[in-house]
Amino acid sequence: MTIRDALLRARRRPRHFGAGSPTVYRGDGYEFVELRAYVPGDDVRRIDWASTARSGELQTRVVLEDVTLTLAAILDVSPSMGVGRKRPLLAAAREALTDWFGAATAEDRCIRIAGGSITPAALQRGSRRAVALRDDAGAFDLTKTLRTAYAALPRGTALLAISDWYDLDASVDRELAGLGARFDCTALIARDPWYEQLPLAGIVRLRGAEGGTLRGYIGARERAAYLAAVRAREASLLRRFEAANWRTGLLREADGAASLAAAFGLRS
Amino acid sequence: MTIDHPLRLGLGVVALIVFGVVYALLQRRATSHDLAYSNIAFFEHAAKPRTWIPRALQALWLVAFAALVLGVGGPHLRLMLPAHDGSVFICIDTSGSMAATDVFPTRAEASKAAARAFVSESPSGTKIGIISFAGAAGVVVPLSADHQAVLSGLDEIPPPNGATAIGDALALAARMLPRNGHRVVVLITDGVNNTGADPMQAAQRLGTQHIPVYTVGIGTENGGLIPGTNEEATIDEDALRDYAQASGGAYARVENATELRDALSTLGRTTSLQPKRIDASLQFAIAGAVGMVLAFLAGLGLGRYP
Repeated sequence: MTIRDALLRARRRPRHFGAGSPTVYRGDGYEFVELRAYVPGDDVRRIDWASTARSGELQTRVVLEDVTLTLAAILDVSPSMGVGRKRPLLAAAREALTDWFGAATAEDRCIRIAGGSITPAALQRGSRRAVALRDDAGAFDLTKTLRTAYAALPRGTALLAISDWYDLDASVDRELAGLGARFDCTALIARDPWYEQLPLAGIVRLRGAEGGTLRGYIGARERAAYLAAVRAREASLLRRFEAANWRTGLLREADGAASLAAAFGLRS
Repeated sequence: MTIDHPLRLGLGVVALIVFGVVYALLQRRATSHDLAYSNIAFFEHAAKPRTWIPRALQALWLVAFAALVLGVGGPHLRLMLPAHDGSVFICIDTSGSMAATDVFPTRAEASKAAARAFVSESPSGTKIGIISFAGAAGVVVPLSADHQAVLSGLDEIPPPNGATAIGDALALAARMLPRNGHRVVVLITDGVNNTGADPMQAAQRLGTQHIPVYTVGIGTENGGLIPGTNEEATIDEDALRDYAQASGGAYARVENATELRDALSTLGRTTSLQPKRIDASLQFAIAGAVGMVLAFLAGLGLGRYP
């Protein structure tokens, strides 16, 4: 199964909170899913005569509805995504983004929301141009970008948002819920590069990716407190997105594509 | 504090500034090896790094270097140090008014108790003598470094009786004190001079010999009747203050036995102190060097991330 399949299977799932598992929308199309026993009311054109002949009972071919997907993506390109242990988190995010738009067929529509506005120029068809879209046009404003997505994207859009979500204050929860109700949303949360262990000891000086410095002593106590806070923050983010009916996943620095696949329960 | 070599100190200050600039540059250079983090505010909230430790280390470097620079400048400190060759005469009033009971049990007994406190608080080596005075002044205990003997001698002070010859007591103390060394007179009285030599002249003479007189006026504000008479015991506070000022000493008024004992205890600790000019170059240099070594070792121990 591909990311696109997963998106199709998830389409038309109930949108109210606490809904059950996603259902496959079966309809008139060409993508074969399974054979099953004929049920009165089935389109006779979908009866598979070969299987019927073999089994001796009427068999219906179940196919997925042919649909055109709209794939949209928000990529946090703020300097905070430029940090990492071996490479910037942004590199992993770009891998995920490439796979996301790579899942689109020629008929699907790809939209990359860059900066705080969506313009006709930002509407791209095909993954390559969408990923390559300049994303350093001005400072990245996460809240503004989410609001732009809500206002501009067509209902039912599959929206992927990749960020470290440092700017996600509590006031944005309503917007998240609105997006979750309107679109098929997926949040990739960039995992802190030092989630496992903070490689600092003694007197250190930190440089903030978005400005500022910090000079202080890091001992065992500080390392333990840091790890606890990082894990608590990640868990809190996951809870908030899930409460807003978003699909969630963790963006790992090592492999962005695998991170995206894992968010859909797939193996890359 | 005085400086013997201002030029050296100036050079040292310049060196200190250069050191500070180089240190800051090295710190800035070291920054490139530190961690770049996504969100400093979150890190600060999460890890709560102890920011006072690097500040304390910087302060230690600064203080150590400053001490070294001061040491090079040849600092001399003027300190109040115990004078082991000090001499103190305690002049205790034994006039009739000292029998008044407004200070428990009597002014005379409270004075003796306070004198004991003074002797106990004085550093060993300080010579102490006791003079009692009423109509005339006499030495009860000559100057002695044997404080136990002085304490015993306090019991020899005659009971209160007679007039008040403050001037005689001060003059006697002046005669009995050695010509040199740190010398002090402590005068405990409740009355007005009414016989003998002029106390003001005696105090001024002591002042010219650099012998301060610490006067302690004893008695409550309302005073008390002298037992067996209708006379009221009063204090001429202005006169006592003048004696003290004329000699370079100080005046204190006490109204009860506790205040008196406290005042004498304090005097016991302080009158034997004398100002001395100490060359502190070596001490500053050693403190600076030790501080720098400590700062270096601490920096090494608190080193950077592996």
